[in-house]
Amino acid sequence: MIANTKEVKDEGFDIKRSAEEVRNLSFKDHICIGCGICESTCPVDAINVAEIGPIVREEVDMPKIDIDEDKCVLCGMCSGLCPVDALDFTIDSEPISNIVSYPHYISSAEIDDDTCIYCQRCEIACPRDSITIARSLPERSDLVTGEIEADEETCIHCGICDEMCPTDAIDVDRTPGEESIEIDKDKCVYCLLCKKICPVDAIKAACRICSYGDYDLNPEDAVTTGSSFIDDETCVKCGWCQEICPVDAAKVKKQYEGTLDIDEDKCTVCGTCIDVCPCDVLSFPESPGPATIVDNIHKDEQYCIHCGACERACPVDAIDVKITNVDYTPTKSKSWIDKFEALKN
Amino acid sequence: MELKVNQDNCLGCGVCVVACPVNVSISPDVSGGHGSRTEEVIMMVENGVIKLFSEDKCTKCGTCQMFCPVDAIFLE
Repeated sequence: MIANTKEVKDEGFDIKRSAEEVRNLSFKDHICIGCGICESTCPVDAINVAEIGPIVREEVDMPKIDIDEDKCVLCGMCSGLCPVDALDFTIDSEPISNIVSYPHYISSAEIDDDTCIYCQRCEIACPRDSITIARSLPERSDLVTGEIEADEETCIHCGICDEMCPTDAIDVDRTPGEESIEIDKDKCVYCLLCKKICPVDAIKAACRICSYGDYDLNPEDAVTTGSSFIDDETCVKCGWCQEICPVDAAKVKKQYEGTLDIDEDKCTVCGTCIDVCPCDVLSFPESPGPATIVDNIHKDEQYCIHCGACERACPVDAIDVKITNVDYTPTKSKSWIDKFEALKN
Repeated sequence: MELKVNQDNCLGCGVCVVACPVNVSISPDVSGGHGSRTEEVIMMVENGVIKLFSEDKCTKCGTCQMFCPVDAIFLE
């Protein structure tokens, strides 16, 4: 964390900033994806981003970026352009994203709870584990009703029904002298499997739904309710949730749009890019057989946020990531506009 | 020597506003990033870029120039 009040020492100058305004720059290592955008954007060359490959492979244990406190003037530009908000810059405890004079790229990820069917596909797909879908299912006993009864007199306690029951609703105690059969009606779904399999016809059962059509099924009871949550801190706006959502409840606006190209002639298929990619865009293609060496890297470009972390990490310069579009909040600062436009090169 | 600004270079970060010892003595709560609060100070961020208000108060110490990351404010 770098905070006011700071000194700059240069050529005999010894300057101290002493305004009451407090500026803070803090860095969240667990959020950083090592893309290097901050390094290239820092106007005073105060930021140095480490080789990200060895860090994500846990070969070395070091912070992903290093900020030279002596050089940093707390301008906030790194924080404004970081695609994953790993750099927090605040002025008097207020994040610069709330300050009008600081422009910020526009990105978002949302799940519409009115449309969401709580299938949890996005939660499973999210490469950053940012999504939590909590759901509550309707009571099974509200949806399926019927009658079931075991005739203890007839039952020989063979246990076949216990073994066959798909919902574990039957418990047969086969201890000699203590034989019993119990059916848990809360678990039973009246599939009648026990009735069919019983060798001595000891079970009497009927399903009301089958017997009476829709008689007892109230469709309103079959609704799954729940809630969705996206952790904005870890979410990288990659679009996996949007792509995988079967009902279009997830909407993602990426921070940086662009292209991702891999030069297959140069690529040595080392897998470094796969390791560093924060969005699971890159993968080894399915190998056609055992011990087959794959000859290219597979990419799912629709999930790419064009951060350039792979390009930076590639040991043979085979990857070319280009940003073609950035939407940002309006600014009159030509310098900021230039910075946003410069990202496109 | 005169205090000059180049608004094309300016990020509007307000570092000069809070670095300037004269500004700070006039208004210790100066908030560079938040925009102008008083026109008594030498410079303030307005509409996202630096603007000079009372440059006659400048003591030509060069502090702003030292802190400015983008050469938007300087003595010439």
